Amino acid sequence: MSLRDLYAKYHNQVQFLLIYIREAHPIGGWWLGGDIAQQRLKAAGLKAVTDVYDPKTIEERRAVAGRCDTALQYGIRTYVDEMDDAVSQTYAAMPTRLYLVGLDGRVVYAGGLGPFGFEPTELGTAIDECIAQVGGAPA
Amino acid sequence: MVDVDRYISEHKAWQEKFDALAPKVGDVASDFKLCDVNGENCVSLSDFRGRKPVALIFGSYT
Repeated sequence: MSLRDLYAKYHNQVQFLLIYIREAHPIGGWWLGGDIAQQRLKAAGLKAVTDVYDPKTIEERRAVAGRCDTALQYGIRTYVDEMDDAVSQTYAAMPTRLYLVGLDGRVVYAGGLGPFGFEPTELGTAIDECIAQVGGAPA
Repeated sequence: MVDVDRYISEHKAWQEKFDALAPKVGDVASDFKLCDVNGENCVSLSDFRGRKPVALIFGSYT
């Protein structure tokens, strides 16, 4: 199950917050490569890109986040972590991670560390269980 | 030439450091306030307490 599927299924019952954090593989950093790497990502069905520099200002970060938001088209509003990476650090979210927070503000699902622990299907199961506990029927 | 081994080592160290402090199942999720790609429509995680469960999806473009 993809994030797009999860959003389509649960967006009336769950608030989805897509949080853009520091780039994982920017040019000048842990860069995956140029055209060949881009072709491999595309062949794997991924929309990640290889032509992004690590943003140095919040304005640059917002611009890349906007580009990402437009490309992914999840339908989920993208929020941008500040340049101190405070939220990313608090949730150990680099390079990608999923959480579900219940109505009482407590964590009901903490996904594994990305990228290998990134499991949208697990999040879907957690959403089903969370909704059932608060008395709503799963969508 | 990208020094992949160095990046992997630094990345693992970062994850180990912050994952030890990250909220676990049953913990209160740390509140935050963030704004959208235009610097507008800011929200706090606590805005949704008592209203809706919240799915947090972290990622970047690369």
